[in-house]
Amino acid sequence: MNARDIEKLREIVGEENARSSPADLYIYGADASVHAARPDLVLVPGKTEEVQAILRYANAKKIPVIPRGAGSGMSGHAVPIDGGIVLDMKRMNRILEIRPQDILCRVQPGVVDDDLNKALKPYGFMYPPAPASSCIATIGGEIANNASGTRSVKYGATRDSVLGMKVVLASGELVKLGANTNVEASGYQLERLMVGSEGTLGVIVEATMKIVPIPKIRCLGIACYNKLADAGHAVSEIIASGCSASMIELMDNVAITAVNETQNLGLPDVEAIILFEAEGRVKDAVQAEIDAIQAACEKHGGFNIETSYDAKERTRIFAGRKKLFSSLSRYKEGYACTSLADDMAVPYSRMADLAGKIHEVAARNNIIMSAYGHCGSGCMHTKILMDVTKKAQWEDARRAVAEIYDYVHSVGGTTSAEHGIGLSKAPAFKKEKADSLELQRAVKRAFDPNNILNPHKLFDAPDDWVTATELRYPVGSVREP
Amino acid sequence: MAAPYERLKSWMHELNLCIRCGYCYELCHLYKSHAYETDTPRGKLLLIYGLLTGALQPDPGMVEKVVQCFYCKNCERSCSSKVSLTKIFTDAKADFLDAGIDFRGLAARTDDDLCSRCRVCQAVCKNEAISFGEDGKKIDIVKCEGCGVCAATCPSNAIIMVEGFGVTRGELRETVRAFLEEV
Ligand SMILES: Cc1cc2nc3c(=O)[nH]c(=O)nc-3n(C[C@H](O)[C@H](O)[C@H](O)COP(=O)(O)OP(=O)(O)OC[C@H]3O[C@@H](n4cnc5c(N)ncnc54)[C@H](O)[C@@H]3O)c2cc1C
Repeated sequence: MNARDIEKLREIVGEENARSSPADLYIYGADASVHAARPDLVLVPGKTEEVQAILRYANAKKIPVIPRGAGSGMSGHAVPIDGGIVLDMKRMNRILEIRPQDILCRVQPGVVDDDLNKALKPYGFMYPPAPASSCIATIGGEIANNASGTRSVKYGATRDSVLGMKVVLASGELVKLGANTNVEASGYQLERLMVGSEGTLGVIVEATMKIVPIPKIRCLGIACYNKLADAGHAVSEIIASGCSASMIELMDNVAITAVNETQNLGLPDVEAIILFEAEGRVKDAVQAEIDAIQAACEKHGGFNIETSYDAKERTRIFAGRKKLFSSLSRYKEGYACTSLADDMAVPYSRMADLAGKIHEVAARNNIIMSAYGHCGSGCMHTKILMDVTKKAQWEDARRAVAEIYDYVHSVGGTTSAEHGIGLSKAPAFKKEKADSLELQRAVKRAFDPNNILNPHKLFDAPDDWVTATELRYPVGSVREP
Repeated sequence: MAAPYERLKSWMHELNLCIRCGYCYELCHLYKSHAYETDTPRGKLLLIYGLLTGALQPDPGMVEKVVQCFYCKNCERSCSSKVSLTKIFTDAKADFLDAGIDFRGLAARTDDDLCSRCRVCQAVCKNEAISFGEDGKKIDIVKCEGCGVCAATCPSNAIIMVEGFGVTRGELRETVRAFLEEV
């Protein structure tokens, strides 16, 4: 990318919406992952025509373009591994329409999840997936990542909320995918293909999303366990016994301790807790679900079960889960929380084994790991806590990540439940999907023949995540400034 | 004089503890006004990290981005890694000055011709950033958090707030309020 390219591209969005100072490039090369790289230019388009013009130019010159939402991705999806243009979509943040009678809304991709929910509330509606990062994550980023969250057990992941979208292809062409209807059987579901595409197939410039009425009554409960495995079995029991839960979250003792340390919540110091929720229109119906969930929890050793309908109390209990990831950094002096092997899904019946396996792998590799997650939807999270300044710890982490994913694949699980693949989960992803990688590459070529959109991610990411980019941590000694 | 960026170096571990989730910019006035990630608390920490590892040089643009903070501390309240963000920003100011790097940031400045040396400003400053000595009045721009109380209470109108970012605290509040009402 030369000076003339930068000048031409600046002209498209206007001087104030283009940045190329060292400070800007440094910041837009990072996200919430362990990776860091630098783009050559940051562009912040304000309308679809600008996105089209940028892509037309970039495609002709074969310049990489990396769409970016809030940069809250945990696996390096938005890290510009080959330089090029970071396309910050946060300025396209208008809610275009809210149509309660059609249970849908149309939004630009830069709308923040919580802002959408604030806007929907007066209509009595909500946008349901509810990732923990909803206060910053953008709808575009959530679609490109197939985000899910606490309520996905009931309402599904982002893919279940997407009805249609407008996408700018690598060529600059604008296409409409899906429909503004609740059902559609008109050919290939290309809007679904965009879900989870991590910015590699096109730039989403508008999305039509399904919304749901806010339930009138909600009840949140908490159950304690002396054995982590029991909590895992209870999750499977709740699901298999047909309870209609709107949330089932698991937290192990590492997670509980970290959250208590930073949030001062006074959660019980047990080996594991499950947070569960039921919701509906009628209190008796909600209570019936809560009773059934409670029975399933007790069947596997759940004790000190408490439930509450009070909004304040529910918020207090849930606050810990919302801030869990960042709290983990305070678990042990000298250790930092890294986003590695952060996310996976296994069949419900394997949840208990997986939770135990995570701690077993951690102990064997001299690191600390935590088992937690939106287990109601089959999703398990972990993080690796370690001394990030020591080279040996990165070797430990490399081994631990591989061991965890070998186990996940061996029981029929998958590499990512919701955080996506990016760079750091790519080696595991490539192993898991070995027989369809060529097919995926063919799809990519059909959409983006010049490979300009977020190149070298997913199936084309480097085989070793540790050396894929610079690490964001000062491994070894800190250089003198 | 301390070694270069000595204070900031002592925060290196805190910089590692930051998971870069971005929750800190949810309520950052500057970010809501400017809408660039370079104007976020997470961005400032990244720049400081870049400076300490030698990846970035302290050019004037970068330095201003690090020191531009209104000290509302919303970022600290939303950080569950409990990173002491504003303390780090204050130490950055001190380290920059020690390294001979000047900056505008956001700080009160006095017009000595108008100042009557009544010391009302000194009494109201919660950060003890104002002192009077032999050679007149001094405002410590490291300690000054730019709250503007001294300027508001000065009977001689001798204090002005230097707004390094082309927008005042009041204007920012207004932007954020309008933004919140819109959504
Ligand atoms: C503390 C914390 C908690 C989290 N909790 C959850 C959780 O509960 N559930 C969950 O699913 N995730 C979670 N995440 C991960 C992350 O926040 C989400 O996956 C989110 O969807 C990312 O959105 P973003 O706007 O930050 O996207 P970014 O990180 O900026 O980008 C993510 C990907 O989307 C692509 N992209 C962005 N915008 C567009 C667009 N307009 N068109 C095409 N591609 C685009 C990018 O190229 C990139 O590949 C969490 C992250 C953090 C830091």
